[in-house]
Parts: sequence; structure tokens; C-alpha cells
Amino acid sequence: MVLNKESVAAEIKAKIIEIAAQTGDDASELELDEIIPATGLIDSTGLLELIAWYEKFYEIALAQEEINIDNLGTLTRMAEFVLHKKG
Amino acid sequence: MAIAIYVPRINNNDDEVKVLAFEVSVGDKLNVGQIVGQVETDKAVLDVTASVDGYVLGFAAKPEEVVQVGSVMLWVGETKDEAIPEIQDPLASESSTQTSQITAKARILIEKNALRADIIPPIDGRVTVEAVERYLSMHAGAKPETKASAFAQPAQALPEVQGKPVSLTREEKGMAATVTWHRDFAVAGYIEIDYDLAPWVEYAKRFQEEKGLLMPPLLPLMAWRLSEIAQETPRLNATIIANQRYEYIPVNLGFTIQAGDALYLAVVRNTEKLDEFGFVNALGDVLRRAAGHKLRESEASGATIGFSSMERWKVTHHIPILPPHTALMIAHAAGKNGRGVLGASYDHRVLNGGQVVTALKELSLPKKYQA
Repeated sequence: MVLNKESVAAEIKAKIIEIAAQTGDDASELELDEIIPATGLIDSTGLLELIAWYEKFYEIALAQEEINIDNLGTLTRMAEFVLHKKG
Repeated sequence: MAIAIYVPRINNNDDEVKVLAFEVSVGDKLNVGQIVGQVETDKAVLDVTASVDGYVLGFAAKPEEVVQVGSVMLWVGETKDEAIPEIQDPLASESSTQTSQITAKARILIEKNALRADIIPPIDGRVTVEAVERYLSMHAGAKPETKASAFAQPAQALPEVQGKPVSLTREEKGMAATVTWHRDFAVAGYIEIDYDLAPWVEYAKRFQEEKGLLMPPLLPLMAWRLSEIAQETPRLNATIIANQRYEYIPVNLGFTIQAGDALYLAVVRNTEKLDEFGFVNALGDVLRRAAGHKLRESEASGATIGFSSMERWKVTHHIPILPPHTALMIAHAAGKNGRGVLGASYDHRVLNGGQVVTALKELSLPKKYQA
């Protein structure tokens, strides 16, 4: 399967919308370059769920030190990081 | 001599698990900590890791087979050509005790309780005091002088109102067993204090910026502070065993996490060997595995102190259940108007209210803000 940045970002956004809905938040307006934790749309438990899904869905393993704002802070960065990891 | 790697326990109330797969083959070289395969219950999948270095000699279980917790999963030898012991049912065999590692303290506890060592499911390949205590708490009903079994309930007549019985999931059974330990063994009390949220929020924000963290570190930092306080005050990190206070040497911090329908107590062991950032990373690691239902055996058991937050649900007050063999569980909740409530369930056999309030007050401020 060939991944492209836009479709990966859209998949991640769909997951964030689903997680945010669990606590009654609406993430449909989340922008590509917004810092996800700073939006307050998903809390730390939601972020953990997002990362667990991200690893499983894209079949990548993350080291704890890779889980930072630079790599995963926005939709764009998360999408780029998948492509980078898939090499 | 061949060493057994045992089928691990995933939760308190599951005596059987399914072997999913093996990731090694006969003759493979193994290193301690290497994943050898996976087992699963209804919702959780657990990696089984090698407890020793060596070579895979053979398998005692098969993929898709439902097996007893504590039975032999595979054999490891120092060389490739060692003989596998002729054991088909290690739970019923004396030989399994020869191949498991039993600590000296565990042996004393086993003798004191007139148990057989071979019936104790090991933890990460070792029969420790913790493994014996876990066995005792799960099988208390088997001994006439002890209280009712962990999940035994008096027979109840059916209610007059019509209904239908629904079987509990394994997680629900595990929760029931934990709650029953709290009821049968702990003498639970609860205390809470009001505190100013600002210092912790400010401290966590700065920490997150400095380290470039994705996850908000407020709760991990508070959990780390709890670990520090427990290191300074050993009775907070203790339980009661045979009318004596049993102060744990390591501080194993259990942190509750809801993953889908499952509620886990994810455990960071030996926190006294970590620093603040190391703890935040270690907790992040186990929480991430819990969120993916992939907790390792040693990360799903062995808590000596606990931290629970219901902030996510905007709950402003909750009284947690004490995990088995702990005396203190912190209750963190959502704040309001700049003020928060920090509570604690505690075992009054181990701690009194004053000691708990002192700990809560210490916890209510980051260390660097304290006089």
C-alpha cells in the first residue's frame, strides 16, 4: 500500500475526532498544523489511545523518546513521521 | 539444567489464557527480556519474555491452546542440546519447583503457609513473595481459617423482579476480585484536602516545554512526587502480612488507565532507581502499552502504591478502591476555579489519618516549591 501525506493526515484526523467525541469534544475543525495537545481537544488518555492506534494502524513501533512534539505534535508532523518510519 | 518459561498471569482472576503465537523456534538463541510469544485473554494480549539467556529447547504449549497460568510454556537451556525434563503437567509435578527460581523470602512464606512451591504461578519466571501473596489472596477461600475466597459471594436468592443472568467478562471478574480484597482485607479510610492547582500546572507546563513532550506530564509528575514521598516514608509503601507491617523495598507505582472497556493498573516497578524524567518516560511507556492492551506481565501486577485520576471525566471527587496489598491510593480529580481536591484511600491497619494528610500536603506542591 502506498501512503501519501494527505490521506494519512486525514486518517489521523478521523481518529482524533472519534477520540475527542468520547469526552464530548468536537475536533472536526482541527487544522493540519495546530499543536494537538495545545488544542485541549483530547487529553493525555486520549493521546495515549491515539498513539496506540497510530502504531498499530501504520504498523510502526515508536520508542518513548520519539513521542514528542517535533515528531507527533500536529497532523502534518504525524503524517510525515509515518512516511519517515515506513522509509 | 533446562529452565522453564511459564505461562504468565494477565489479570487477577484469570487462571487460564490462550497461547497466541511463538516468536522463536527450537534452537534459537534467547536473551533476557526477549519476546518469545504472546498469550491473550478476552481483551488483553501480553508479550511473554525470556527470564534467562539461553537456547530454546522445546515447547510445552501450542499456539491457540488454552493453558493454565503458571504451566510451562517453553524450555530454555544453556546449550542447544540439553534434554527437556519429562514433565507434561508441571503444575502437578515436583520437578517444576526445581526449575523455577524461588527467592529465600518466598520460600519462608511458602513454608509458613504450608503451601507447595510448585502450585505458585511465578512472576517473570520467579516465585517471589509477591507471587506467593498473590496466590494466597486468590485462594484464601481454600483455607478454612481464612476469610471467604476472593470472589466468593454468599448464595443469594433471585430477586423477585424478572431479569436474565449475564456472565462477567474476565476484566469484570478481575475488578470484582480486587474490590473483594479491599472489602475482606483492608480497613479502608478516605481523606481529602483542598489545594491550589497553579503551582503544579505551572511546573508541568514548563517541564513539557523544556522536554518537548507530546503528553501533558502533570499526572506523571504528581505520580513521581508520590513515589519520592513513599521513598522518604516507607510505611506509605507497605501492607499488613500476618500481623506485621510489611514495608516493600521497591516502590512499584500503579497508575490506573481506562483503555476502552478495560481498566488497568499499569505498574512502573523500582521507581526508586529512576529520576524524574526517567519515571515520566517509563510511565509513558507502560501507559502506551496499556492503551494498546499489550501490558507485560510485570507491568500488570505488583503495585505497592497507587495513583488514580478521574480528571478525564470531569469528576471532582472519587474514592478509589485499594489495589491488593497496598495501603495508599491517591485520588486525583478535576479542579474547579483554580482549586483542586486531592484525596486518598488508605488501609487504616497501616496508616492513620494524620500520616495520610501529611503525605497529601506534600503531594499538593511540586518539591521545588516546598519550603
